This record gives sequence, C-alpha cells and structure tokens, in this order.
Amino acid sequence: MPKHETPLMDELEKGPWPSFVSDLKRQAEKNPQCWDIVGQMELSFKDRMTHWKHGGIVGVFGYGGGIVGRYSDVPQQFPGVAHFHTVRLNQPSSKFYRTDILRKLCDLWERRGSGMTNFHGSTGDLILLGTRTEELEPLFYELTHDLEWDLGGSGSNLRTPACCIGKARCEWSCYDTQATCYGMTMKYQDEIHRPAFPYKFKFKFSGCANDCVAAIARSDLSAIGTWRDNIRINQDEVKKYITGDNVANGGGIPGKGEKFDIQKEVIDLCPTGCMWMEGDTLKIDDAECTRCMHCLNVMPKALRPGVDQGASIMMGAKAPILDGAQLGTLIVPFIKMDPDNEFEELVDVIEKCWDYWMEHGKNRERLGETIQRVGLPTFLRVMELEPIPQHVKEPRSNPYVFWREEEVEGGWQRDVKEFRAKHAQ
Amino acid sequence: MAMSIEELKEKIMEKALKGPKTQLYVKDFYACDPEAKPRAVKNAANDLVKEGKMVFWSSGSTTMYAAKERAQKEQE
Repeated sequence: MPKHETPLMDELEKGPWPSFVSDLKRQAEKNPQCWDIVGQMELSFKDRMTHWKHGGIVGVFGYGGGIVGRYSDVPQQFPGVAHFHTVRLNQPSSKFYRTDILRKLCDLWERRGSGMTNFHGSTGDLILLGTRTEELEPLFYELTHDLEWDLGGSGSNLRTPACCIGKARCEWSCYDTQATCYGMTMKYQDEIHRPAFPYKFKFKFSGCANDCVAAIARSDLSAIGTWRDNIRINQDEVKKYITGDNVANGGGIPGKGEKFDIQKEVIDLCPTGCMWMEGDTLKIDDAECTRCMHCLNVMPKALRPGVDQGASIMMGAKAPILDGAQLGTLIVPFIKMDPDNEFEELVDVIEKCWDYWMEHGKNRERLGETIQRVGLPTFLRVMELEPIPQHVKEPRSNPYVFWREEEVEGGWQRDVKEFRAKHAQ
Repeated sequence: MAMSIEELKEKIMEKALKGPKTQLYVKDFYACDPEAKPRAVKNAANDLVKEGKMVFWSSGSTTMYAAKERAQKEQE
C-alpha cells in the first residue's frame, strides 16, 4: 500500500515507456523504505528543490571514494531515506557478469540496502542505491570477502576505468581494451580509492574509432584504438559490395531498396577525400586517411584496420559543469598498447599528465580546463611532445608568433651595441 | 629539503585544526611544505585519515579533508 500521496510522481508512470516510478513502487512492496524515496521526490517536485543535503562524511575505512553520502533534509517526514547512501562498485571490464554473482549481489543488497540498483552509472560503475551508514562496513566486508568485489571511484579520485567490448567480441578492436582497463585499474588502485587530484579524472578505453564507450566525449584521458600502416583491402569483396552480393553496413542499416553506390556511400563521404576507384579497383591514399572508419563500417568484409595497431591518446573531454562540454583533444597520435611491457608507453603518458595537473590544476578544475587555461603549446611541452599538424585545430588566425628564450640563438641576452651597429649597416 | 613525513603530518593537522576553513582540498595542504611533491602531501593526508585524525568529506564529485573532531562538530 502506498505510504504517501504522489500525484506528480504518478504522472511519470503514464506513457508507453518504462517508468522508474513503477520500479520504485514495485520495490517498495518488498522494502517499505522505498515508499519514502517516492514521497521525498514528490515533495521535491512540489517545492521545486532537492531535499538531499549536499555531501557528507561517509565511507568505509581506508577508502576515500566509492561511497557517496546522501542524507535527507526532511528525515522526520521520510525516515526511510534519512540516510540513503550510494555505493559504486567497480564493474568488470566490458560489463561481463556471471549470473550467479549477480544473484549473490542482489541478495546481499536486499539485506544491506534498499535493493535498488542502477546498471550502470554514467562512468560505468554498478551502482547500489540507498543504504544506512551503519550498513556500510558490513556491506563492504561481504562484498570484498564473499564476492571478491571492490568499490569504484568517486570524488576527486581516479574514477572507475571503463572499456568497450574489445577483442572479446569485436574484430575491429586495435588493442586489448579489457586487458588495458584491468591493468590500469590494478596499477592505480591507490588513485581510485584515495583522493589525490584537484578534481575527478576518468579513463576510458575504446578499441577503435567507432568509440563504443564514447571515450572521446566522456573521459579526461581516452585511448582510442587505431593503426599506423595501411587499411587492408580485399578487392574481391569490394566488387561484391558493388554488385550487391555483399550487403552494406553488415545489413545493420536497412536500405531503401536502392543499389549500393560506392561513390555516393563511401568515396564521397570520406572526410579527407583519400579514396577513389580505378576501374573496379578501390584505391586509398593512406597517408591522407584520418582513420575515421566510415569506409570500414560500410564495407566490413572488404576493408579491415591495418596490422600495426595501437591507440591515439586524447585528453580533456568533460561534461559542462564549470566550462562548457568539450571533446578530447588529440595529444599523442599513436602509442603501442602492449600488455607484455605493462603498457609502459601509456603509463608514461598518464603519469606525466598527472604530475603536471596535480601541481598546476586548480581546485575543481578538470584536466581539459587546465589545458584550455595554460594553452595547448604549454601542455605539449609538459608532455615532452613536439607539435604536429594533427594538434592544430585550424590554421593560424593570430598574427603573433611567440618564441621561447631557448628557441632564439643567444637567448634574450644580447649586446645592444653590437645589434645597433649591425642595424646601422 | 622537504620535511619528514611526521613533520608534514603535524603541519597538515595544524592547518586542518586551526585554519579558517573546516574542509580543505588536498591542494590546500601543498603550502605546508612547498618543497614536498604533491603525492607526498596526499600520502601524508591519507595516513592521517588511516590514523583516525582526519576524515574525508565528499559531495560525490569532489573530496575534501577535514580534522575529525572539528568536522563532526560541524556536521552535528
């Protein structure tokens, strides 16, 4: 039986789509504290303000992340949500779960919390929604000892790394995203569990430019799979696309019954115009290719990534909190992602950028905002990288060229008399 | 030369107990020893949490440090 009148929340049950309000009410039949979450949300809608307090002191011993404190500011009215802390669990790479583990987790969460979950939060964690402070330590003990499951990141920590499905199921993955994600998660346990940074920091690993975890939009440091040799072409399969024996886009995009037109659907859509036909042979000028993968997506049987594979590193993506949303900026065009050397090249990039950001980033400033503030040329110097054309967003619109002292012969010190003597000539 | 970890921890506690703000960012402690690396300061602050002298305050997106007694009084 509903504990509160909730006409505004009830509106959200109308319509053909799934409703979280219906889910909450169904869970409330098992766990009555969930009536109070429906009731408090109703009050928030009426008052047009949140009734959650801002943050708090909460966590498990030794961890500075993984638990997000949530306290109601109307606990007398809604005692079931007086404490309603969120627990973030480190999801397995690519979100592969065993059903027996999920059952055990759900049983544990019904005993120690509200029973409500969120598969998954924006960063990728498995979220357990709503528990009391006194349940946190027992919950953490059972999670780690019985299920061998750890908390994820929150606050000014390294957030739980996330990756695409990678080589587990995808032929386009240019590196083992799961091994990388797991490797970085284990290497940076301290950074995930104990706050070290000016603000949050996210890693995401995508195996190719299709970027199935949207790393370029959502992570401070994204590693996006690519290759530096040539696209592999199977000309026989290209011909089959042209004749209609192969279905474009793997049949994933229903056509309008029109015959596949390689000129219109592939060559004319290439962003760098690096493809053309010579008779019935497809040609690609790979030096001009940006590895966008459009042609590979349209003709997957005919075109495959090159064999010299690795990743491009982008930095600075973020959602709009302080400044506006921004996509990642290309910083390192190509590195090898090698588990045999414990991802040495990637680790080098990560630690150079952290060392700088930890020292120079302002409080609550994401890496992308720091890069914007100091400028990309400064950041590239920090990363010990030479600027390349791919770092340039647009041709120069600023008439000034600034030289650094070490770039000028003789530095800033010069003999003025000698200079004037030369000038007089 | 950077301070010893124990000296650094003392400075951090002093700042957390006597400074004008109850909650402090990890960067606020960098001034306790300008020669220490940011990681050393972070490790010292985390040691104080393990020792039960400091606590984490988190909004979910940001984490701050606070002296335990002072923070608990304020929360009450």
